[in-house]
Parts: sequence; structure tokens; C-alpha cells
Amino acid sequence: MTALQERPPEDIPEEITWEVELQKVGIVRRILNARKWYGADWWFVAISSVLVAIFIIIAVFPSLFAPYKPDALVGPSFLAPGAYPPVPVLVLPNISSANTLKDLAVPAGQPRPGISVVQGGNTAGALNDAAKEIDNQIKTEPEGLRLRPNIDRYASVEEALQAVVDGKDAAAVVESDEFAALKAQYPTLRQGESLTGGSKTAGGFLLGTNDIGQDVWSRLLWGTRVALIIGFSASILSLIIGVPLGLMAAFIGGSFDRLLSLVMDSLYAFPGLILAIAITAVLGPSIVNVIVAIAVLYIPTYYRMVRGQALSVKEDVYVEAARSIGARSREILQRYIFPNVIPSVAIIFSVNVADAILTGAGLAFLGLGLPPTVPDWGIDLARGQRFIQNAWWMITFPGLTILLVVLAFTLMGEGLMEIFNPKLRER
Amino acid sequence: MSPIGFVALIIGIPALVLLGYVLITGSTGLRRYILTRIVLTLPMVLILGSLVFLIMRVVPGDPVSSALGPKGTPEMIQHIREQLGLNDPIIVQYGRFLGHMFTLNFGNSLVGGHRPIADEMSERFPATLELIVPASVLALLIGIFGGAHAASRRKGPVDYAWRIYAVVIYSLPIFWLGLMLQLLFGVKLGWLPISGRIDPIIGTTLVHRTNIYTIDSIISGNWLALKSVLQHLVLPTITLGLILSGIFVRLTRINVIETLSMDYISAARARGIRERVLVYGHALKNALIPIITLIGLQVAILLAGAVLTETVFSWPGMGSYLVERISQRDYNAVQSVIVVFALLVAMISLAVDVIYSLVDPRVRY
Amino acid sequence: MPEDILYSIRNLVVEYTTRAGAVKAVDDVSLDIRRGEILGLVGESGCGKSTLGKALMRLHTGPAKITEGELWFDGRDLMTLPIEEMPEIRGAEIGMVFQDPMTSLNPVQRIIEHLTETIQTHEPEVSDKDARKRSEELIERLGIRKERITEYPHQMSGGMRQRVMISLALSLRAKLVIADEPTTSLDVIVEAKFLDLLKELQKEFGLTILLITHNIGVVAELADRIAVMYAAKMMEVGNVDDVFAHPKHPYTQGLLRSVPNILLDGAELYKMAGAPPDLSHPPSGCRFHTRCPFVMDICREEVPPLEAIEGAQYAACWLYPSVMAKRQEKDHA
Repeated sequence: MTALQERPPEDIPEEITWEVELQKVGIVRRILNARKWYGADWWFVAISSVLVAIFIIIAVFPSLFAPYKPDALVGPSFLAPGAYPPVPVLVLPNISSANTLKDLAVPAGQPRPGISVVQGGNTAGALNDAAKEIDNQIKTEPEGLRLRPNIDRYASVEEALQAVVDGKDAAAVVESDEFAALKAQYPTLRQGESLTGGSKTAGGFLLGTNDIGQDVWSRLLWGTRVALIIGFSASILSLIIGVPLGLMAAFIGGSFDRLLSLVMDSLYAFPGLILAIAITAVLGPSIVNVIVAIAVLYIPTYYRMVRGQALSVKEDVYVEAARSIGARSREILQRYIFPNVIPSVAIIFSVNVADAILTGAGLAFLGLGLPPTVPDWGIDLARGQRFIQNAWWMITFPGLTILLVVLAFTLMGEGLMEIFNPKLRER
Repeated sequence: MSPIGFVALIIGIPALVLLGYVLITGSTGLRRYILTRIVLTLPMVLILGSLVFLIMRVVPGDPVSSALGPKGTPEMIQHIREQLGLNDPIIVQYGRFLGHMFTLNFGNSLVGGHRPIADEMSERFPATLELIVPASVLALLIGIFGGAHAASRRKGPVDYAWRIYAVVIYSLPIFWLGLMLQLLFGVKLGWLPISGRIDPIIGTTLVHRTNIYTIDSIISGNWLALKSVLQHLVLPTITLGLILSGIFVRLTRINVIETLSMDYISAARARGIRERVLVYGHALKNALIPIITLIGLQVAILLAGAVLTETVFSWPGMGSYLVERISQRDYNAVQSVIVVFALLVAMISLAVDVIYSLVDPRVRY
Repeated sequence: MPEDILYSIRNLVVEYTTRAGAVKAVDDVSLDIRRGEILGLVGESGCGKSTLGKALMRLHTGPAKITEGELWFDGRDLMTLPIEEMPEIRGAEIGMVFQDPMTSLNPVQRIIEHLTETIQTHEPEVSDKDARKRSEELIERLGIRKERITEYPHQMSGGMRQRVMISLALSLRAKLVIADEPTTSLDVIVEAKFLDLLKELQKEFGLTILLITHNIGVVAELADRIAVMYAAKMMEVGNVDDVFAHPKHPYTQGLLRSVPNILLDGAELYKMAGAPPDLSHPPSGCRFHTRCPFVMDICREEVPPLEAIEGAQYAACWLYPSVMAKRQEKDHA
């Protein structure tokens, strides 16, 4: 050979991969470039960010979006999505001149009109409400009319209607569909006004009602708050504990590191939900306890990541060099370790929020962790399971919502990972 | 099944496999390696057990009084506490707990007839086993083929479809998936039963030997029972298997893609080896090694999923046992279940390590 | 295409899609490989020579893509073949030896499996026994004891593995062997032995070899002709003796002067000014003008074509009248 090698072999750079060194590129450009580079992934990130934003807004202001309070009993039980709740209507004899409930009002002192209703139905309540409202109105009118009807309760619709036919009562209040079904049998009766009192429940419920007549849609929206509180608080708590522990383990080292790592690895390997079950079972049902129990599960995730990264950075040549010229630990932490760790923490955080929401819902589904009065998707699902035979909407929608929220956070985490992670090279 | 049979199930089978393997290969290095791994798993079980023990004791509330309810007189409570050793100093209780843990005899239940917990678990554990084994097989099948399929069509629509599948499955609450399957196949279509392990009437004809009903019905030739058992298995297996498969697809896809970028794949491609062979023969075979390890780590998800699946389907396994006993504040049972789960996690990861060394010719100790 | 040319590359462009936009790693390169010759393709790391080597078999995946050009191999334009038919050519007619023998063999496959798989992929009619026999003979010819054929790659040394790689390229009597930096990861002694073997095999099997390397010394030792690439462009092509004696392109001149030579003994090594350009933003005109000691105005504006300077020696440089003549010809047309 006439010549020696140009360079020693270890100096030869590997086949270049044609890429911009990401570390030198600012975060805004990274995100903008990601749009070109990741193709369809970009849409995942965009859609998930919008979803996350929407869910956060709903969680902060549920009352703006939810038509009802989560625990308000607003309608009949088991009303299917989109179905109309039965409307109480006034049924009058054909000969009666009255058309509305107000027309039945009489001057003070005269015997009050009798109105028949069916025992145990919703109609009596609707009648009472409507009558009270009219009373309040006519109190101020000069003729001195009074309504306050005598309510006669009957065992069945037929009996109630018969009472009107027989002239025992001036009118009946029955549900519109019931009257429609029986109309042919009572040719002398006609339908008067509806006693909905302008209530907004008349239009039905978007996602139906549950077994005790709460609005499923409202509970879903209010549940967002609980789910996000659990997700965020648990992740923040484990971050606050896990990150410093990881840094300490990396910097102190020795038997402290070994012992802590052993504990953390054990926790990490063990099924999180089962541990959370044990912890919440012992701590008792409360939202704070759920947060604590879930936070415990994710401490090892942060700990392992931070410790690993800190250790590898610590051994990097430039940090060694910085040390040798007398840089303080704090400086090394700020200049070398945090910049490496923060993106990973952000990724883990996003994924952890998703995971914590899932775990929280799982705990609630098992009847652990949350008090049953809290509007929570897991609790709603557990309740819905009992009525799986007749109310599909009670289990379908809360689960779908969990899926959407978790999906949004997971996808955001994935997107962050692709954008932040400079090691993810394309070949 | 006796407690001894139960113990044999959870540690005996993997131990036998290991022993057999060590005897066949017989290298001292490997023997030392496996022993070290066994020794290393012990602290994990110990730490988790102690953690649960501690949590159970530091928190106020008396399990006996809550178990007896309002009819328990103070004398009765004291008597039972004395019997169960709950009045001893905590360190004595801890010592007893450790003793129970290492002999796998767990002591007696705090509620009901105070039966030995090992007996109770020996009835529950086979049910869990019957659920997680087919679910894992299903998940592996979907995961490995789906992942390799996605990797072979990188960045194409097939790849995106599999990725979306994986991330949706990952975000799916397992109990909701179970409920949806129940709703569709149980309630709306009426094809499959939605709870339990066997039809209660047919169940009376089944001879219980292993408490794994499929095996029991096969060895006794009870085909009617087998049919019922399999029907009951379908929905829980699909639920748990699907949830696991999402992670498997993801892991397989990433690893196969990584392997496909290796030099030896390019070299094989340059020799004219077809893409199909490259993906399923070369890349998948090489990627299986890290995949096995990573899948071994997912045992946590498997067990957590099993707890929820069992609850949804009223499956009388370890998970529903845990949930039941928690609501009854049966601390002994709860901590025993945790210890058994920890043992299971340790054993499976150990078994995965051994498989790893079997598959990869490069592993040296 | 003349009979003596085995592979003719015409105006090849290979692009990578990157985060910074499209990058041409091989930009309008034409090159002929003659039957039975060893052609040395040299250039700095990242100049596109490995990309060119892979493009000859259309081996690119992922972000890389051949966007223009023709690849005439043995009378066929490979670019017109459907990509599904390329595996029939790969291995059977064109073999490749990769840079790193450590990573180019499948770690969970035995050596014998590599060989038999390759043989049976292309000749499915060969029985297992015959394939095995052929493999053993080949391996022995390359100086590896046939008992070692059942070993895994990690059990072999680097030199041995590289010989296995050669045997894989030879197992189907490939007409053209592309050797991509075959010796860079070997130590000097093993490298010398390996190069001797390569030369022997070339004679014995009548091989045509495209030797891709950054090591001028290896080219001097082995090659008949040399092709010099710089920043995705072909700069100079010619017989090794001519180019080494009278390099035409200023880049080649600098490259040859920067090689340490035992005979120079103590004379200071020449260092070229500047660094190779960033291919995502290549300089206008001649790619080398930023570092060229003879830079002229035209160099900054127009890309010089590769033209014959003297006999069979080609260069792409405006310094030469024949290149200038080409430009005027173009202007007239």
C-alpha cells in the first residue's frame, strides 16, 4: 500500500442521514417543521390539542355547557336519548268553555274546581307547579280569582278520565300519549293546554336520562371536571415527588440510589391499578385520596426517566469538563440536566394525565375512591351496568367520553414526543 | 384443589421449566444467572408486601368491627381480634406476615367463616389463569402480526390504520369495552352469556379437579359443560386480549421498524431476499427478542386489566376476590392477593428472561 | 451502449426528503462501469457515493428516492423495471459488500443459513443438500474452515465476516459487485489481506467491481479507473495512473495532496481550505468554488459539465477549454 488510511476508523462518521440537527433548532421551528415532516401525525397533534383545550374549558366552566346540575333530578327515569318526556296535558269535557288551567280559576269563596290525576305519576307535580304559578299571577289581578284546585287521585288513567266524564271533576291532567291512546273511548273529552310550564325538559334529553332521572349529558360535562382534576393533580403530584427523587438518586448515588431504585422498580413493575385499589380502599373514598393513590403509581415513571437521563448527562464529556473547571452542581443541573429532562417530563406528563384519568375511572367503576355523589364517568358506568338490559345510553356515552379525553391526551403526548425527541431519526 | 396444588401452579410450573432448562443446557454461567435473577425478584415481592402491610395498619378503622357490622358486641370483637392476632404488637404481626408470605400459607380470612386464604385463593386463581392465558395468546397473535404488518407498510394507510388501532385501544377503558361487548353480543344480539364462568345449571354437573373449567370439562368428557365454559370465556377473553393487543401492536411495530433499518436487512435486501421474507422472516425474528422482553413488562397491564375484566363479567377470579375483600376490609386477604400478584409479576418476568436467553444466540452470562 | 460497458449510469438524481426540504444526495451523475474492471469511487463522507452505490440496485427506502436518470445494466434500463422485479437482479446479478461486516450479517442466522437462503431465493430448484455443498465450497475457497459455517456471526472475526459477505456476493456469480467501504472497519493487516483476496477473486471469477471508498490508497492499490465525487456531483473520472499522475480537477488535486504518503516523509500535509458544503443549501455553480484556489466568476454561476479533458480522462471544471467549448456549443444550440 502506498498510503496509510486517511483517518483512523473510529473517526469515520457513519453514513449521514440528511437531517437538521434538532437541538440547534428553536421550539417554534421544530413544531412548524414537524408539520411538513410528520405528515399525518401532524393532524393527530392538531386535533388532539384542540380536543384537550375543549375539555379543559369544559372542566373549568361546566355550568356554561351543561343544561342541568349534575345531581338534579330533571326528568323521568330511563328516558332514551332524543325521546320526549311525556307531557302532562289538561283534558276537558267538550262542553267546557275553558281551555287553559287559568280558565278554571274561580272567584274567592266559591268551591274550588276538582281536577283528577293518576296516583304516583308525574302529572300531579306538574299540575301543582302550574297551579302555583297561575296563583302567583292572578293574585295581583283585580277580579279576586283563585285557582288552588282540589286534586283527586285515581288508580288509573281510565278512572281519572271517567271522573271528568261523570262530572265529578272539572278536568283531568294526564300524560299526552296516554290520552292519545284512549281518546277514542272518550268522545266527550278533548285535550286542552300542556302543563309543561315552559320547562326546558320538554324537548327531551340529548343523551337521555339515568335511572333516577338525571341528565346523562350534564353529568358527562360535569364529570370532565372531576376527571381532569384527578388526571392533572395526580400527575403534578407524582412529578413534584418523582423528579427530585430521581435527581437525588443520580447525584447522591451509592446505597441511597440502590435502595430507592429497588423500591421504585418494584412499584413500577407492579400493576398500578391493583396498588391503587389497595391504597384507596384503605384511605377511604375521597377525591384527594384517589389523587394520592394514583400519584404513587407514577412516581417511578418520573424517577426512572430523570435518574437515567441525569446519569447519562453526568457522564457526558462536556459535563465532566464543566465539573473539572469548577462548575457547581446547581449550574450543571440548570445548564445540562434540565434542558435534557424537561422535554421528556412534558411527554411523560401528558401520557400520565391520560393514564391517571383511566385509572381514576377504573377505581370509580370498582366503587372505590370516589364518593358516589360525585359526577364521575366511572361511577356512571358502574351504575349503568346494572341497567344494561334497558338503558344502553347510560353505559355508552360515559365510556365514549373517557375514550375521547384519554385519546386526546395520549395523542398529544405522542405528538410532543415526535416534536421534542431529537433522537427520533428518520432514515 | 389443595393449597399445595395452588402453590404448585404459581411457582411450580415456571420453576420446573427453569430447572429443566438449566439441566439441559447445564452451563454454570447460566445456572448462576438464573439463580441471581431469582434472588433479585425476592426484594420486589418483599417490598410490595411490606408496603401493603404498612398501609393496611397505619390507617384507622377496625376490620373486625366493620366486618361484623352493627351486631358485633365489643366482647365479640375483642375475641375475634385476639384469635386473629390483631392485638399483638405491629412488629409481631409483621413477622407473622413475612412468615406467611414465605410459606405461601397467608393465614386465615378475617371475614366470613375465617377460612384459610390459601384455600380461597386456590379456588379463585385458576379462574384468573383461565382468563389471562387465552387473552394473552389472542393479544400476542394480533399484536405481533399487526405490528409486523404495519411496519412492512411504513407510512402507508395500513400503517396508520394499525397505529390508530393501537392508540385507540390504549385509550379505551377496559371495563367499558367489556360493557360494550356485553351490550352488543349479550343484550342486543343475545349470542353470548355476559357473566360468570359457566351456566349455573350445567355447572352442577361439572367435576372440579383443577378448577380450570376447560380442563375439568375435557378430562371428565363433559362436552355440554365445555361448550358452556367456552361460551362464557369468549367475551372476557376478547375484552382483555384486545386491550393488551394495542400495546403489543405498538411494541412490535416500533421494534420491527427499527430492525428493518439495520444493516443486515439492507444487506439481505441487496441479496434479493423478498420484502415479505425480510419483514416476517428476518426483521420479525430479530425483533422478537426485544419484543419478548417488553411484552414481559406488560404483565402489569395484564393483571390490572384482569381485575377490571373480572369485575365486569362477574368472573370469580383473583381480581374480583380482591375487590370483594376490600369492601369487606379483609386485610389478610387483600395483602395476600397483592403478594400473589407480585409473585406472579416476578415469575413472569423471570420466565421472559429465560425465554430471551433461549431465543437469542448472543446472550452470554 | 457499447459491448464493453456493463453498467451505465445516466443523469442520475437521488433525493432525500428531509425536515429541511428535498436534498439531492446524488445530483445529475453519469458514469460507465466497464466489464471486468475495478472502478474506484472516491469522495469524502457524505458526498453521496454510498447513496450512488445503493441506487445502482434501487435499494433505497424511506425518505430517499431516485427522481431522475437511467440505469442501464447489461442492456436493460433498471429504472423501467417494476420495483417488485428488482429482487431478481439483486444478489443474482449485482452483489453488494457493505461497510461494516459486524452489522451486515443477521445476528440470529447461522452463516450457512445466510448462504443457503440466498442461493435458494434465486434458484429455488436447488436442494438443501446442494445449496449446503455449494456454500461450503465457497467458504473454503475464501479461506474459512468449513466447520465454522454453522457458527453465528458474532462468533467470527471482522475479517472473516467480510469474507462471508464476499461469499454471499459470489454465491450466485454476480456480474457486478458493489463494495461499499469494505475495509474501513478492518485493521490494516486484515485490510491488506482482504484486498489481495478481492483482486484474486476478481481475476478468478471475472468480476466487475465498483469499489466505493474514501481511502485513496485502496484505490491506488486495487482499481483500474477512478471516479471522484464531491458534494453529490461527479468531479473527475479517469484511469488510475492518469489521474494520480495528472489530476485535472482542483478538488482531485487537493484530495491527492492531502493523503499522507510514506514517500513524502516529513513534508507537511496539504489541508484543503473550508469544509464540504451543506447539501440542503448547495452553493451555486460549481459545488467546489467555495474552496477552489483557482475560482473564477463563471464558477459561481454555472455548473460545469463533465467533459473529456485528455484521452479517457474526464473532469467537470471551467479551467479546461473542452468544458468551455461545451458551454459555447450549448449556447449556440
